[in-house]
Amino acid sequence: MKIENTKAQMRKGVLEFCILSVLKDNDAYVAEILDTLKNAKLLVVEGTIYPLLTRLKNAGLLNYRWEESTSGPPRKYYGLTETGKLFLKELNTTWSELHNAVTIVTSQKTTKK
Amino acid sequence: MNKTVNINLAGIFFHIDEDAYLKLQRYLEAIKRSFTDSQGRSEIIADIEARIAELFNERVQNNKQVIRIKEVDEVISIMGQPEDYLVDDEIFEDEPQTTYKRKTAPSKKLFRDTDNSYISGVSSGLGHYFGIDAIWVRLAWIILFSAAGTGILLYILLWILVPEAKTTAEKIMMTGEPVNISNIEKKIKDGFENVTETVSDVAKNVSESVSDAAKNVSSTVSDATKNIDFQKQGNKIKSSSKTFFDTLGEVIMFFFKVFAKFIGILLILIGAFSLIVLIIALFSVGIIDIIHIPGLDLVEIANAGNTPLWLASLLSFFAVGIPFFFLFYLGLKILINNLKSIGNIAKFTLLGLWLISTIGVAIIIIREASEHVYNEKYIEKTELQIKANDTLSIKMVGDTKFSQNFYKYHNFRLANDNDGNKMIYSADVHIIVKSTTDSVASMVIEKSSDGRSYDKSIERAKNINYNYAFSNSNLLLDPYLTTNPENKISDQEIKIILYLPEGSIVKFDKNTKHFLTNHKHNGNIVLSKGAGNFLEIIEDDTKCLDCPAKKEKEKDFKVKVNTPNLKINDEGIEVKSDSNSLKVDDTGLKVKSDVVKVNIDSTGINIESKN
Repeated sequence: MKIENTKAQMRKGVLEFCILSVLKDNDAYVAEILDTLKNAKLLVVEGTIYPLLTRLKNAGLLNYRWEESTSGPPRKYYGLTETGKLFLKELNTTWSELHNAVTIVTSQKTTKK
Repeated sequence: MNKTVNINLAGIFFHIDEDAYLKLQRYLEAIKRSFTDSQGRSEIIADIEARIAELFNERVQNNKQVIRIKEVDEVISIMGQPEDYLVDDEIFEDEPQTTYKRKTAPSKKLFRDTDNSYISGVSSGLGHYFGIDAIWVRLAWIILFSAAGTGILLYILLWILVPEAKTTAEKIMMTGEPVNISNIEKKIKDGFENVTETVSDVAKNVSESVSDAAKNVSSTVSDATKNIDFQKQGNKIKSSSKTFFDTLGEVIMFFFKVFAKFIGILLILIGAFSLIVLIIALFSVGIIDIIHIPGLDLVEIANAGNTPLWLASLLSFFAVGIPFFFLFYLGLKILINNLKSIGNIAKFTLLGLWLISTIGVAIIIIREASEHVYNEKYIEKTELQIKANDTLSIKMVGDTKFSQNFYKYHNFRLANDNDGNKMIYSADVHIIVKSTTDSVASMVIEKSSDGRSYDKSIERAKNINYNYAFSNSNLLLDPYLTTNPENKISDQEIKIILYLPEGSIVKFDKNTKHFLTNHKHNGNIVLSKGAGNFLEIIEDDTKCLDCPAKKEKEKDFKVKVNTPNLKINDEGIEVKSDSNSLKVDDTGLKVKSDVVKVNIDSTGINIESKN
């Protein structure tokens, strides 16, 4: 078992959730999503987000529209679909549950010691 | 100085150094390789190219600036090395697989549900499978058990054959839900809830019993204690019954496994031994075929159908050997759990080979058998100058070098005759004697042989050589027949039928004994036991002229009685009573009583009477 794999797996689930959360209120193009995630230090390299976005889009959770850019190529603006919104809602509850569970489990360990 | 290349990245035009260009190209190639088409590779690559273009754009102040290797390095460090994509790619790989699984395995599978079991989880497993509550299945079992004992057998069979649901995936499969992450999660969550429930139950029980103990201390017996004890007892009983059945199951499984291993070893031994024997047999036959050991000629001449020997032996080797090989393989498979399969191709090839060999062997057998379809006779008749009151003596030729060693029936051998030619010899010679009213005796020699056709059969019968000599009322018969090896062994037989006129006398020499039959059938009147005696031929029978008359058997047994009143021994008989006696011995007879005395001896008879 590689630590990298476990880390990446952990990050992957969370990353999907975070991408959807970023797009919760307003549409954004990749660089904006990346900025948010990079500021939160959730993402180290940018490249990994593209397969994720494509996957979410193919799953019908995201859609996008093209917008011209003043500096550079046209940009893909991503936004949540209706299913995406439901999905995010469910993920939110799951996350809070998971967060609770993880906190309980991890803190229990430390207190017992 | 550096050469530059013009590139179009996501619709934007860039000048780029050649070495930087090559690096960028390698980078994009590497990323491309880390995705598969199913994940939307082209789209991802296009997005990445667009992002790279954007990043380049940020770093270029005016159109004339050239992108150098430094900018490319910066961009690569921002985007991530191809290895980073690869790690994520591995995670995404499970996605298409799960969708595939979802399509193929939504059906329920039968497992034993050991989580909700009484004995082994068969019932609750069946309950899951048929979508009914386990209690109904259990009731059905009880009815089956009580109605027919075979229900127990069925239950044990299911217990052995149906696997236990061990992994979460199997537990989900058991209920018929598709196996995916959310279901597994749900299942685990359920498990957690159960655990928390039990934990809280335990906590409750503990607190209750603590308070009960407190109550006990204050010597107030509460009903609650009773209840809890009862409950505990119940739990105990259930858990002990579970462990009992579990151990029973383990014991049964253990014996079953031991038995299976034993069978496996037995199969391996049988298979291996038979294969070795067969291989040795095949090789020895093959070697004999090549170096021509004389003994093989016998096989050659017995082979009436003219089938090549090597073919016959090879076919029978496969026909017999392949089933044994499979037996051997089966044994191995029982012994070694994760035995590598020999592969379907090998299996079917062997099966085909076996079928062909079996058919081949069957054809050979039919061919050989067809050689015996016809059994025809070739008859030679000669007159013998024997009339009534003449004596005919019949003898087998003294030279019995061929006949002495072999037994009477179906004994063929190959030997050289006096000229050095190989001949088939057989002692299949019978003598039958019949009475006739003709004045002169006659002899019929009946030669018979098997063959594929009438002609062949007759031809082979004709080719049988049989010699006899008749002179001066002496008939000398050969104890064997001969034929050319070309004719093969095809049940050649000689029957000599002697028609002797009534009133003539015949004497069979003792050495003809084995050529005469033991039964009177087909009109035969001389039996083996008559050999050596002068027999007079009468109508349909013979009369022995010099047979010793049957002596009466001497009954010779000694009686010895030795009691005070009665004595019987070698000396005589003595009977005594108080006043009377009787004595018989060498000297004579003595009878004595109160009133009379009788004496018989060498002097005469003397009777004395007291009155």
